[in-house]
Amino acid sequence: MFYGDSAAVRDVTLGVPRGKVTAIIGPSGCGKSTLLRAINRMNDLIRGCRATGRLLLEGEDVYRPQIDVTALRRRVGMVFQKPNPFPKSIFDNVAYGPRIHGVRSRSDLQGIVEQSLRRAALWDEVKDRMRQNALGLSGGQQQRLCIARALAVEPELLLMDEPTSALDPMATDHIENLIAELRGTYTIIIVTHNMQQAARVSDLTAFMYVGELIEVGDTSGLFTKPVNQRTQDYITGRFG
Amino acid sequence: MTTNPSIAPIGPGGAGRLAAPRSLLLSKRASRLRRVLALLGHGVLFLIASSSALAVIFIFFFIARDAIPFFRLEGFKEFFTGTAWYPTHEPPVFGALPIFVGSGLVTLGAILVAVPLGVPAAVCLSDVLPFSVRQYVKPVIEMLAAIPSVAFGFFALVIFTPLLQEHGGRVLAGVWWVVATPLVALLVFVLSDVVANWVVGEARHRAVRVLLAVLMAAAGAWLLFDVGGRFAALTISSGTNALNVSIILGLMALPTVVSVSEDALQAVGRELREGAYALGSTRAEVLVRVIIPAAGSGICAAVILGVMRAVGETMVVWMASGNAAQIPQPWYNLLAPVRTLTATIAGDMGEADQSAGSAHYHVLFAMALALLAISFVCNLISEQVIRRSALKNE
Amino acid sequence: MRLGTRKVVDRSFTGLGIFSIALVSLALVILLTPIVVRGIGAVVFRATIEHDRVLMEHFERGNASTFAARNATAIAARAPVYEMLTAYEAQYGVDDFELEELREALQRLLGPAPDQSKPTLARDQFGATRWAQAQEAAHNVLYVQEWDYSDPTQFGVPVDVPRAKRFAGTPLESLFPYVSEHLDEMLQPHWTLYWGFLLDDSLDAHMFGGIWAEILGTLYLTIGAVLFAVPMGIISAIYLVEYAPDHWLIGVLRSCISTLAGVPSIVFGLFGLAFFINTAQVSKYFMAADSTGVSSKSILAGSLTLAILILPVIIRAAEEAIRAVPRTYKEAALSVGAGKWRTILTVMLPAALPGILTGIVISMGRAAGETAPIIFTAAVSVGRPLEVWQTLTQPTPALPWSVYNLCTEHTAADEIRHVQYGMVLTLVVLVLLLNTAAIILRARVSRRLAG
Repeated sequence: MFYGDSAAVRDVTLGVPRGKVTAIIGPSGCGKSTLLRAINRMNDLIRGCRATGRLLLEGEDVYRPQIDVTALRRRVGMVFQKPNPFPKSIFDNVAYGPRIHGVRSRSDLQGIVEQSLRRAALWDEVKDRMRQNALGLSGGQQQRLCIARALAVEPELLLMDEPTSALDPMATDHIENLIAELRGTYTIIIVTHNMQQAARVSDLTAFMYVGELIEVGDTSGLFTKPVNQRTQDYITGRFG
Repeated sequence: MTTNPSIAPIGPGGAGRLAAPRSLLLSKRASRLRRVLALLGHGVLFLIASSSALAVIFIFFFIARDAIPFFRLEGFKEFFTGTAWYPTHEPPVFGALPIFVGSGLVTLGAILVAVPLGVPAAVCLSDVLPFSVRQYVKPVIEMLAAIPSVAFGFFALVIFTPLLQEHGGRVLAGVWWVVATPLVALLVFVLSDVVANWVVGEARHRAVRVLLAVLMAAAGAWLLFDVGGRFAALTISSGTNALNVSIILGLMALPTVVSVSEDALQAVGRELREGAYALGSTRAEVLVRVIIPAAGSGICAAVILGVMRAVGETMVVWMASGNAAQIPQPWYNLLAPVRTLTATIAGDMGEADQSAGSAHYHVLFAMALALLAISFVCNLISEQVIRRSALKNE
Repeated sequence: MRLGTRKVVDRSFTGLGIFSIALVSLALVILLTPIVVRGIGAVVFRATIEHDRVLMEHFERGNASTFAARNATAIAARAPVYEMLTAYEAQYGVDDFELEELREALQRLLGPAPDQSKPTLARDQFGATRWAQAQEAAHNVLYVQEWDYSDPTQFGVPVDVPRAKRFAGTPLESLFPYVSEHLDEMLQPHWTLYWGFLLDDSLDAHMFGGIWAEILGTLYLTIGAVLFAVPMGIISAIYLVEYAPDHWLIGVLRSCISTLAGVPSIVFGLFGLAFFINTAQVSKYFMAADSTGVSSKSILAGSLTLAILILPVIIRAAEEAIRAVPRTYKEAALSVGAGKWRTILTVMLPAALPGILTGIVISMGRAAGETAPIIFTAAVSVGRPLEVWQTLTQPTPALPWSVYNLCTEHTAADEIRHVQYGMVLTLVVLVLLLNTAAIILRARVSRRLAG
């Protein structure tokens, strides 16, 4: 991945197993988010950003010119660092994706919304105020709403870009539990600079440093017996 | 958190209500179609977006098209240097110099009103007043900007003109007293202090200081009374004159001056302010020595935009400038009636023979072309100035 | 400088700023007070019986029985005046210049004499409709203005001489004290609230009646301008924010927008005349084939001219509003698979809407108040309220133009000051209402973006 002439991420080869939670850790500015956003081509929005190499989703290179980006993004959901609900009602937030993809009937939409909110463990808290503005929810609720919104288009892969960094510990706990529940159903890639979080929620962990993938392995293995010296230094807190 | 029992792990697509995900790949045809459509959409958008550029080109073209016949018929020399404007005589005389002078004079007058009022107001808005007061002051300035020009013109003609004509001297003297008294008092105070320090140094010669202050105060009072008396003795034979228009135009240009200079002042970084305060300067010193110089080019742009507003204004000058195409004697005599470019266009178009393409008709377009050129140049300069200051502040 | 002096300078510097703001506010008050006070006087004023008569005869409004009662009293009170005139005529004949003058002054006050045939012009059919006018008219009955040239070093000075002097010793001598004493009974002054000022047509070039034609014309022009400018403005803004590449052409485009914003309004007027009317002849397409008006003013041409004038305002406001939409909204929409257009239409524009509306409302105020662009393209001095379909081909009176026209070119500009003030106030209120709406909208936007 390049921004202008400078390479932000290079020489990354990483396999993400289906149904597992993969965490990407590393110090700030190491290219974690860039890598994550490359997967559903959100980097296309940034002027002067280009990619070389191949990025395969189910065997298909997402950077081929014939790729339908909207279809790609439907199959690859994303949750952002800061909760970003639309300034609309809770219902409309979740129904936004399905509506775009052609669901018109009211009852179908209601079913999808309820199901998504249940999966995001938010249904019981908001079921009586579906018509209220989503910006009235608390930060943690907003983030779960964003997860529900991503789930409503039934993606296979869910990208989470530091989903708890803007939340308080209680809300973080909620989200982490939710990730644990979603494991197995969805393939999840989560970027975090909180190593404890990576250790708690992920099956696989990848460590990145200055745009390069240093080490990848089983979460328990990586945190207890890192192979690379820099990984060792990072997880023991020498830098970062 | 207790697990919500109602969650059943459902696989992707399990709900079955959404259509199955499409293949990631588009067919060759669909892909090409999509690219063509995107390009087409982009092109259409570009076309619509460039409509304003098109409008500018059209304006220049159509004004120039009707202006050129005039220069072909009458040439440039008389238009720009002649002092006689008799467009309906036989043969007509098109010396537009008095009209250019008139436009220049009222603009100058307007700037003399708008800048000394507007720049301190902007400084006050951006650096002095607390937010709670500012909230109420800004709408006042915005109201001034919103009032239609014909309402200003109406005020100038129906209310201000008779006032000037009947009580001209007293009105001017009143304004002088209100404006000059605080300024002279301040000047006396500062000057006496500065002179005292210069004469006796830092030593505390109380008697000398008091004496100097009294002397200065006397001089100041003499100045106030003398000039005030001169103003009061003036009689204004015609209320529709350059002064009337200048004051009103100044008020109209004021909101532009205030808001653009305020933006410029706000753009000066916090660090600069804090640095200067940290050196022990008072607020006035920070403003005068640091912030206003840093915002200088922005304030310049504000003045240029104010000039544009004043030059281009039609209704007020048409109604209240007297519409006499003569160069005031002496040239800075604001009490003389004048005629401006805009008022000439507005007023003469009705008389000029449109269909036959007379020189009188085309000369008005020539004036519009001159106006257009003035505003274009002013605009370019202010844009450059703003861009440069933006670069500097980064 | 000593520290004390520095402090005083500091204080007075602050004072200078506050002083200038105070001066500006004072100027605004001085400007608006007479307009507001006398403008309200166009609607709330002491009316005379003649005002009721205008309403009854031309607008078929008013309480018939009250009017009949008042009219009867007034006629009874006026009868002696006409009796005295008849007596004078019987004695001295009708061919008398001074009598003629007196009759004219009386007609200004009371309307035509009962024995006179109905005049053609509406302004001669009625006396003074407003008590203030009536007092002035009464003064003109009682006094004659003469010029005093007794001091040869000075210009002549006007002096009021009692008219009674001229008629001393005739049956008319007692007319003057009678008029000044019975003015109330003859004209029946009473406070009235004349809403019709806003909603009535004008009668005989604004001598009587209201300003509905002007208000309607202004509304048509404003709405027309917004209809043309808003879609183009918003689309331009979307292009500039979301699509425009970093290219020198875009720089030129931006320069053009700011140039357009700086073009003097009178030049827009000339352009409208040269392009929309003389070249494109926009109204020709909507005229009947046999009509002769090839190129004439129309609301359509005026609206188009105004639309170009407000286009840069709308583009800038919309651009700013769209830029202010948080990037995260866009990312969220794209991340669930919305296309670019869909993102703009369903997320960006709704979020930017209040800001865009603010710009639209401000530009409406601008379009409503502009005079110079419509002088040559749409405005006429006298006209009736138009139907919507007529806007394509017909010119219209409009508030800003009529204000100018009535106070500079009307034959009786001094007598209809109240109409002028009423128009100015209506225009100012219209524009300030729009701007207040914009300020409120903007406050709501900033509150929402803050919280």
